Amino acid sequence: MKRMPLPLLLLALLFAGGLWQPHNPDAVDIVSRHIGPTFTHPLGTDHLGRDLLSRLLAGGFRTGIVILAVGVIGLVGGSLLGTLAALLGGWREVAILKASQMFIMVPTLIVALTAAAVFGLSPLSAGVALGLAAIGPLTVFTHALTRRVLSQPFMLGAEALGVRSSGKLFRHLLPNTLPSILTYVGNQSGSAAIAYASLAFIGLGADPSLPDWGGMLFEYRMFVFDDPMLVLWPTLALAGTVFLFNRACDR
Amino acid sequence: MKRLASWGLQTALGLLVVSFAAFTIITLMPADPVEIAIRTWNLPATDETVAALRQDWGLDRPLISRYLRWGWDFLHGDWGRSFRTGEPVLTEFLHRLPLSLSIGIAGLCLALMLALPLGFAAAVKPGGLADRFSRLLSVFTQSTPVFATGLVLIWVFGVQLRWIRPFANDGASLVLAITLVALHSTAVLTRVYRQSLQEAATQPWFATARAKGLSETQALWRHAHPSAFYAVLAAVHSEAGWVIGSAAAMEILFGLPGISQFLVQSISMRDQMVLQSYVMVVAFWMVSVDLLARLIMLRLEPRLT
Repeated sequence: MKRMPLPLLLLALLFAGGLWQPHNPDAVDIVSRHIGPTFTHPLGTDHLGRDLLSRLLAGGFRTGIVILAVGVIGLVGGSLLGTLAALLGGWREVAILKASQMFIMVPTLIVALTAAAVFGLSPLSAGVALGLAAIGPLTVFTHALTRRVLSQPFMLGAEALGVRSSGKLFRHLLPNTLPSILTYVGNQSGSAAIAYASLAFIGLGADPSLPDWGGMLFEYRMFVFDDPMLVLWPTLALAGTVFLFNRACDR
Repeated sequence: MKRLASWGLQTALGLLVVSFAAFTIITLMPADPVEIAIRTWNLPATDETVAALRQDWGLDRPLISRYLRWGWDFLHGDWGRSFRTGEPVLTEFLHRLPLSLSIGIAGLCLALMLALPLGFAAAVKPGGLADRFSRLLSVFTQSTPVFATGLVLIWVFGVQLRWIRPFANDGASLVLAITLVALHSTAVLTRVYRQSLQEAATQPWFATARAKGLSETQALWRHAHPSAFYAVLAAVHSEAGWVIGSAAAMEILFGLPGISQFLVQSISMRDQMVLQSYVMVVAFWMVSVDLLARLIMLRLEPRLT
């Protein structure tokens, strides 16, 4: 629980970047194309004269939405189903696990790709699709973890002391499983940010004019000869965000 | 034998569920294929044409009967027609599949070939060069998407060193694409292999092997390798999914004419049959890799539970 502030702080930073940018990220300025770093444009401008820093900040907001959506949906759905499966036992346990395994059969990216092709790619649609796809592996993970904790002697002790089932769940079970679940969810959301960037790069149903980091890399890939910094900055932003996010969730 | 039959049954059931789920979602697509067909083929937009097309494609019938009809046609080699090209989807896929498959298979095989020596070296000398390199690789591949790495490599090899022609659909691009696809799986499989080797080395039978006079390296190879290789095979399944996504990004980045490129070109026309066929091909790929890995695991460990 103590390590929650760090990932949340990172998310807050991403969202703050979406609320304020030095320039309008979509403002085209044909006169000042491909200018290097100046005082007004700290990272320079792209081939249409749009301010790169503003576009990166706006893209960070969109990436933040994906991370948050995947985290919340995966955490709620996965921990609920996994814990339920372990507690209920019997045919319901088998049914939940079999259903999760069926979901794992289709790669996460393909689920999101289908959703993007059908409903169009937006941070929310991709976040929901990736989050739903993350429920499967999270359920299996939570189930295994919960079974392990349930078999510990202190759970038997709580039973013998006559602790009510809600007390067993919230005082004894969840405090032991949640930290590991949160770490796992954090890693899943980090890779979801990568998956979203891949979808935007592949360009299925995405609006290429929107400032997604992946879409920017696709748009700027042709300028790798003349203006490699255009490619470098979105790469650094994405890699840095995911790296820091994974790191923050790991400790 | 009984186990094989049960696997086959599970696999078939899984494919059935996946195909039905995909069919339902794709039919929910907020675009009318009849409208698109009329626009792309310049048909007269009269009520008769619309009704005739609807009846011809069975769009007036309930979902279940449409699904059954699609499934029947699919199994008999009729994968529908692409709106964009007017060609049968199956022909186009057969034309493009070899490239996509070879990127995927070569990527996975290359990853396995790189991961085993690297993981073994890391396990022999924890904290050594191989260990630190593999850890760095895994942190790097986890936080950098493969196409971004690819762009940087294009800049290095294409612009700075001028070894390759950037964005050209040639052999050098293919090799680069396969290497990039293999990077992520190499990192994951190396870590899995190293960790399992280390775990095996704490077992009592490992101490026995050492007491018999085997060196650490010999004991690791003879006694720890089989179980560690088993763990690697179990991890191949999730990597097969990663490989698909990376291969798709590579096809777009290098302009390689594979099935993912075809999907991207088709989806702006709301080409439903192409998307449905793509999902099915991916499901087949996952199932085949899974079955192959399980068969090898069965050979390694007949007591498989």
